[in-house]
Amino acid sequence: MKTIAHVRVTPEGAVLDGNHISDASITGLYREFAGDYPKFFKMDNLCRLGFVAAELLLKGTSAEDRADAAVVLFNRNGSLVTDRNYQKTISGGDFFPSPALFVYTLANIVTGEIAIRHKIYGETSFYVMPAYDPGQMDDIAEDLFLTSSPSFVLTGWVDYNDDNDYLADMKIMTR
Amino acid sequence: MDNLILQLKQQIIEALNLEDLTPADIDAEAPLFGEGLGLDSIDALELIVLLEREYGIRLSNPAEGKEIFRSVASIASYVADNRKK
Repeated sequence: MKTIAHVRVTPEGAVLDGNHISDASITGLYREFAGDYPKFFKMDNLCRLGFVAAELLLKGTSAEDRADAAVVLFNRNGSLVTDRNYQKTISGGDFFPSPALFVYTLANIVTGEIAIRHKIYGETSFYVMPAYDPGQMDDIAEDLFLTSSPSFVLTGWVDYNDDNDYLADMKIMTR
Repeated sequence: MDNLILQLKQQIIEALNLEDLTPADIDAEAPLFGEGLGLDSIDALELIVLLEREYGIRLSNPAEGKEIFRSVASIASYVADNRKK
């Protein structure tokens, strides 16, 4: 397997293929490198993080390749931040469940948001793991090439705790 | 009515995470769905929750929704006539 692009997004900014390209926050990266997708602002922070990382990674890919690609992502905390925010809307005296929060109370929504944005029609999946485990993540991503024929696999870690604690470490793998 | 329209615009921006917009960017008469702000079905649910939470209005007839949520001005008119708080 070959890695043809790699991105790392943290509170310190973004590193693309080993080059530090920005100091911006997640929203700052969106404004710097995308900026044409208002739905970004409706997403929860996990989705925003995965979205901007995918924007940076997929710039060098063709629409034809993206159509047959797969997306397989991993993290430790699932959608816990949004789960907690949603819980606040259904706890205590006031019961006003927020539909906009509820739709993001599944971690795999981030794979769907990326697929919708880039018209990716291949397999998408999201795994919650006890800890960051690059070996196991690569094994799962590589298995996709045995069971189907994606043009490439967009894969990696995307985990968000708060504005000072998040990591997207994603790459594009080809056969 | 102008104050209510401004308040609704601010509440809509906050509830729907329209972070790129200010109240001045929203035309009170412009359609909220399809064109204009381009809101979707989840946004519609969020607006229903907003009316109940902020104004004590519970929409019992779904058929009314299309007309009530046509624009910020139509929401304001309905709120002015039906608010419980």
